[in-house]
Amino acid sequence: MATLTKQQIGSVLAKQGILIAFVIFMIAFTIANPKFLTMDNVFSVVRSSAILGVMALGVTFVVISGNLDLSVGSMMSFSTIVVLDLHDKIGPFMAIPAMFAMTLCLGAFIGFLVGYLRLNSLIVTLGMLSAIHGLTLTYSGGQNMDIADKEGTWFSVFGQGTALGIPVPILIFIALAALLGLTLAKTPFGRKVYAVGGNGTAATFSGIPRARTVFFCYLISAACVATAGLIQASRSLGSQNTVGQGLELEVLAAVILGGASLLGGSGTVFKTVIGVLILGFIQNGLLLMGLQFYIQFVVTWVIIILAVWLDIAAKRGKLWSAIA
Amino acid sequence: MNIRYTLAATTALVAFAGAASADTMKIGITQNNVGVDSYQTTYEKAFIAAAEANADVETVVLDAGGDVARQIAQMEDLIQQEVDAIIIWPTNGEAVIPAVRKASQAGIPVIVTNSNIAEQGFDFVKSFSGPDNITQGARSAEIMCDKFKEMGIENEAKVVHITGQPGYTTAIERAQGFNDRLPEVCPNVEQIDQQPGDWNREKSQQVMEAFLVKYDDIDGVYAGDDNMGVGALNAAKAAGRDGIIFVGATNFAVGYEAMAAGDYWGSIYQSPVDDAEAALKTAIDVLNGEEVPFLNYFDTPKITQDNMGEFTKPVF
Repeated sequence: MATLTKQQIGSVLAKQGILIAFVIFMIAFTIANPKFLTMDNVFSVVRSSAILGVMALGVTFVVISGNLDLSVGSMMSFSTIVVLDLHDKIGPFMAIPAMFAMTLCLGAFIGFLVGYLRLNSLIVTLGMLSAIHGLTLTYSGGQNMDIADKEGTWFSVFGQGTALGIPVPILIFIALAALLGLTLAKTPFGRKVYAVGGNGTAATFSGIPRARTVFFCYLISAACVATAGLIQASRSLGSQNTVGQGLELEVLAAVILGGASLLGGSGTVFKTVIGVLILGFIQNGLLLMGLQFYIQFVVTWVIIILAVWLDIAAKRGKLWSAIA
Repeated sequence: MNIRYTLAATTALVAFAGAASADTMKIGITQNNVGVDSYQTTYEKAFIAAAEANADVETVVLDAGGDVARQIAQMEDLIQQEVDAIIIWPTNGEAVIPAVRKASQAGIPVIVTNSNIAEQGFDFVKSFSGPDNITQGARSAEIMCDKFKEMGIENEAKVVHITGQPGYTTAIERAQGFNDRLPEVCPNVEQIDQQPGDWNREKSQQVMEAFLVKYDDIDGVYAGDDNMGVGALNAAKAAGRDGIIFVGATNFAVGYEAMAAGDYWGSIYQSPVDDAEAALKTAIDVLNGEEVPFLNYFDTPKITQDNMGEFTKPVF
C-alpha cells in the first residue's frame, strides 16, 4: 500500500479544501444531534437542496464564462407559475415543454443582450430580475396558482416521487450534475467556456466564438431554472408568485462557496454541488440543533466564511495571508 | 330688495356647494403591493367595487409596489390633490410616519388599513381598520386546544409552531397571541419548537421536514397562515405521519380544500373583501363626523372542519 508523502497530502488538501470543510461540518452537526446523519434527514435535505442545486449548476456555467445571472430567482417563479397554470389548461404533457420553451426564450433574450450586444451582465440580469417578476405577476394576475386535482395528477412525480428508493428530485439533480459536469470538463464547448471567462481576448485570438459561447451559457442556465421550476411546482402543486424570490443570491453563494471565481475562468460543477450541499446542511443542522432563529442568520454566515477561509487557506498552504 | 335677493341666492349657492362637496367625498388610497399575493389583489378589486357601488364616493387608487419611497411620494401626491381622506396600507410601519404626519398637518384624516403603523405615528392617524392579529393567534390556540380536548390528549400533546416572516408585525402579533393563549386554555400542552416559515409554503415544508426528523412525537402544528400550514401538511404526508392536527390563520383556498379533504383541522377566516370594505367604511364614517374607535377591527371568525359549511371558499 502506497503511503502518501507530505507533498501529496498537501496537494490533495489544496484541491479539496472545500470538501474537507464540508466533512468537518457534517461531523460537527452529527455530534450535536445524532439524527442529523439519518437516511431520512439526508434525503430530505438533499431533496430540498435539489431546487437550489439545479439552478446553481446552470449559474456555474455563466459565472465561469465571466458573467453573472441574478435573474434566476424570478425566472424560477415564472417557470413554476407558468407550468402550474398550463397544467390545468392544456394538461401536464403539453405544459412541461411549453414552460421549457417560454423559459428558454427568456434565457435566449438575456444571452443575446449579454453575448451579442455586449451589455454588462450585472445590469442586464438585475433588470431582468424585476422585469420577469413583473411578467409573472401580469401572467398570473397576482393570484396564487394551484392545481385543481392534486391527488389525481401524475405531475407530482418530479417533486414527490421516488425511484429505487431515492426521491426523484435528487435523481434529477444527480443526473443533471453528471451531464453538465461532463459537458464542462470533457467537451470542446466546456473548454471554450473556461477560455472565454479566463481570458476573453486570448479566446478571440484562438478563434473561439465568444458571443455564441456566452449565449449558450445563459441558455443552459435557463434550462436549469426551468427544471428547478418543474421540481418546485411538482413538489407543492401550487405556488405564490414570489416562490423564487431571493434565491438568486443563495445560488450565487453556493457557486462561489464551491470555489468558482466571480472573475470567471475557474470553478467546477462538482464543487458547486458541494457548495449547495454545505448551504443545505447548514440550514438543516441549525434547525435540528434548535438554535433560536435570529442567531441562525449569524451562524450561517459565520460558517460560510469559515468554509471559504479553510478552502483558500488550503490552497495557499497557510492560514494567515494579508493583502500585500 | 335686489341686493337682498342676490345675497340670499349667493348664500344658498354656497350652502349648496358646501353640501355637494360633503356628499361626494374624494378618498385616496395607497396600497402596499398589489399583485404580490392573492390577498392584496382581491383587496384592491373589492375596494374599487365597494367605492363604485357608493355614488357619494370618488376614489384615487394607488399602489406603492412594496416600495417605501414610492409610497411616501404617493402620499404627497394625494395631499397635493387635496383629497378628503387618505387610506394607507403601510409598506413599512416606521418609514411612512413623516408622510402620514404631513397629511395630518394638511388637515386630511388618515386611515391605516390592514397592518398598523408604529406607535409613535398614532397621533397622526384617525383610525386603524384591519384584523386583530393577536386575537387571531389566540383563537387559533383555542381551536387547537378544543380539538385536543375532543381527542382526550390535552394533557400530553406536543405542538410545533411555524411563524411568518421575522420582524413583520402580523407575524409577531399572531405568534404572541398564540403563545400567550395556549398555556391559558391548555396548560399541559407543550410547545416544543418554533421556527419561521417566512409566509412561504416551500420554506415551511422544509422546516416541518426538519421537525419531523427531530421529534418522533408531534400532535399539533400551528402555522401563521394557511399557505405555510399546507406546506407543513405536505411534509407530514410525505413522511407518512398521520394524526397531526394542523391549525393555521388567514384561511386560503388551499387550506379550505385541505379542510374539506379532512387533512387540515382549522384556521381563521379573514376575508380581503371584508378588509377592504371595512377600510372604506371607516374612511366614510370619519368624513361624516361619526365616532370611530381608534382600533377599528373587523371580525375574523374561527373556521374548522365542523363549521366550514357556513363559509364560502376563499378566492385566494
